[in-house]
Amino acid sequence: MGGKITCTLGEVKNRADFIMYWGGNPAECHPRHFSKYSLTPKGKFVPEGRKGRTMVLVDIRETPSAKAADIFLQIRPGTDFEVATALRALAKGQRVDAGRIAETGLTIERLQDIVDRMKRARFGVIFFGMGVSMTRGKHMNSGAILTLTAEMNAFTKFVCMPMRGHGNVTGADVVLRWTTGYPFGVDLSRGYPRFNPGEFSTVDLLVRGDNDAALVLGADPGATMPQPGIDHLARIPTIVLDPKVTHTSRLARVHITTAVTGISARGTAYRMDEIPLPLRPALDSPYPSDEEVIRRIRLAVAKKPAWTPAPLRATSVA
Amino acid sequence: MLRITGGTVYDPANGVDGVVQDVCIAGGRIVGGRDLDAGARTIDAAGMIVMPGGVDVHTHVAGGALNFARGLVPENQRAARKFLHGLDRRAGLGGMTPTTFATGYLYAGMGWTTVNEAAVPILSARHTHEELHDIPIVDKTSLVLMANNEFVLDLLEAGEVERARHVVAWLVWAAKAYGVKAVNPGGVEAWKWGKNANTLHAPIEGYRTVTPAMIIANLAAIADDLQLPHPMHLHCNNLGVPGNFETTIETMNVLQGHRAHLAHLQFHAYGGEDWSSMRSEAPRVAEAFKANRNLTADAGAVLFGDAVTITADGPWQHLLYQLTGRKWGNLDVENETGCGIVPYVYKDRNLVNAVQWAVGLELLLLIDDPWRIFLTTDHPNGGCFWRYPEIIHMLMNAEFRREQVRRLPEKAQQRMVLADLDREYTLSEIAVITAAGPARSLGLTRKGQLGIGADADVTIYPVKPDHGFLFSYPRYVIKGGAIVVEEGDVREVVDGRELIVRPAYDVAIEDYIRPLFEKFYTMSFANYPVEIERLRNPEVVTPQP
Repeated sequence: MGGKITCTLGEVKNRADFIMYWGGNPAECHPRHFSKYSLTPKGKFVPEGRKGRTMVLVDIRETPSAKAADIFLQIRPGTDFEVATALRALAKGQRVDAGRIAETGLTIERLQDIVDRMKRARFGVIFFGMGVSMTRGKHMNSGAILTLTAEMNAFTKFVCMPMRGHGNVTGADVVLRWTTGYPFGVDLSRGYPRFNPGEFSTVDLLVRGDNDAALVLGADPGATMPQPGIDHLARIPTIVLDPKVTHTSRLARVHITTAVTGISARGTAYRMDEIPLPLRPALDSPYPSDEEVIRRIRLAVAKKPAWTPAPLRATSVA
Repeated sequence: MLRITGGTVYDPANGVDGVVQDVCIAGGRIVGGRDLDAGARTIDAAGMIVMPGGVDVHTHVAGGALNFARGLVPENQRAARKFLHGLDRRAGLGGMTPTTFATGYLYAGMGWTTVNEAAVPILSARHTHEELHDIPIVDKTSLVLMANNEFVLDLLEAGEVERARHVVAWLVWAAKAYGVKAVNPGGVEAWKWGKNANTLHAPIEGYRTVTPAMIIANLAAIADDLQLPHPMHLHCNNLGVPGNFETTIETMNVLQGHRAHLAHLQFHAYGGEDWSSMRSEAPRVAEAFKANRNLTADAGAVLFGDAVTITADGPWQHLLYQLTGRKWGNLDVENETGCGIVPYVYKDRNLVNAVQWAVGLELLLLIDDPWRIFLTTDHPNGGCFWRYPEIIHMLMNAEFRREQVRRLPEKAQQRMVLADLDREYTLSEIAVITAAGPARSLGLTRKGQLGIGADADVTIYPVKPDHGFLFSYPRYVIKGGAIVVEEGDVREVVDGRELIVRPAYDVAIEDYIRPLFEKFYTMSFANYPVEIERLRNPEVVTPQP
């Protein structure tokens, strides 16, 4: 159990003949996903493009993405784990209780049809969004989909990918992994990296009020965090680096305006499949880049005396 | 400037075998004694052993696959050795998949000063270089994955070998790599349809004429034609599978005299029909290997304990996942390659693992020319690089080896020949398999030796009665003339260099690649090649065909 069976987006474009989006609305949230990677491009082994692919959408409501789907499975809110688990069971030919399936808003026949299509596919992919990972069940839901994907490889080629967004969140995750060994929720207060989501993740630190200062970079927690976390950010010295005025910058003690990365500052962004893309600025900016500001803060901090207490000296008794 | 005086020098590349002599350093290079000022610092190495800094010919220390693995095993990281941040040192973790900064400290701390990252997809080479940039102290080379690249395979299918050579050369330079890697030729491509390539002479999935043998022979010839400093670096088909020694020996025949480096040979030297009948075939593989003087190899030895298996060999990892029932990571890279990750524990009570452990040592002992087989664990696949001293100890001590063999299940003992091998490595031979040999195989002329003009990468070990373990704790490590480690502590953090190769190609080949790239890839063509500005201290090697 566990793990992640995935690929880069070009593999989907070139090979996928079965595509499932689950708990997301790519038509509105990742508007180029269908046309660049998944549905409409003519791929090396899918030369007919859209006609060569079957698209299934699983969601709790009919979003604009449903128009692009061949099959739309509307499930009851909070039943993602159950549906994924039922698919796993049916794939393995295990007995499934019709009454329990009914609770998800689907029928065994519909799910069996999906499983049959998944098995018939030459190359299947499941893209799952925050409707899976951030609703009741959270990582258990993601785990069920990851495991379903791994197990499908006993029958045919199958991969999955989380539909990540929010700017360069994948890049932050990638760099944190190679520098600290962990993707997020890293605590360095002991001088070495420790990882414990729920303890060291930003939302938990803020809600508990554990931190006495905050440096916010490339994010707007003032718009997305729970109210107690936002209140805490307003209470402590918060420094924001952002090209624009944001909810967070309004409540911050300091807002340093920076150049927009990719437009007027260079850098690297990692795609949701962890492929790095170089960003080349098209315009000049009067503002420094995020990197420049952080480097200058770091140099200034390095000039300060060490924060650790001086070694204990023997007190003179004379 | 630095004078190392009174040490017993082992510099096999220059025929120096345990001679007490001075080693002098100026400007980051080894120089003659007369070139030093009178005021040069002196290290008194009397009673100590002086060797060239270690060179790791095959390791996985950076890039998308390893970074995927880091995210997959937080429970390993939690148990790993901690590196505290200091004034000039970055925090990090050791363990099975060390963080980048810790990787530099750990290699240097063991006396290794050059590492070869052995598996880089071109599409994510930019990421690999970002990580190599963050590995301090050691110098670095990297190899790009080519044996499942569809540009190359499609050209072989069309019989256009000449054009394939230009494409390979262009791709090596695009990735800012040092050489060519071939992993399970054809098998990774077949895995993209959930298949594998088990026989060398059958066409692979999706192709009419292309066979693994054809890929192997052509890529080896291309690497030779391009005069790459390191030959094609080959991970043979059927890795890890009982009975695979036949594939390995057949691969040697397919190479027909072309140069090649066979990676982690241990994983390719098994007999038997299935897991329960698996046995060592190290003697037959060693015999065939010795007869093919065009080849070098590294051991890929296995040590008992925790490991993380990371390889471009996707189909093998699916099999390993089914065997272990543990976590499984897989990442197929469009048009190029794939990778699989499965955490693994080698257990001495397990028949298969016991045989694997023996095979690595057997190959190192049976192949009697140390210039052709080198010390690796295929880190982190067979064990972590920081456990190399354990292997050195076993190579130098036959009685200690036999003690270890006697602890294994009796059934396993009958499947190996290790207990019959009396050979014990000399210190000079250790210097060959850890430094001089791999440097020569990589074509790194200034590495692995202490002659005039060589890079001043020197490791000084204290002599203790227990020879093997002294390698885990050098007295001094000198990198490019700087004393970077003293008594197990990092003293100075210097930046390493990245060595890259610019093979010759017809620039018009770009006009052939561009339209195909735009059709089958998902980023813009201008973003594909890695900009040289992204590398830290690049040093470009230009072969002259």
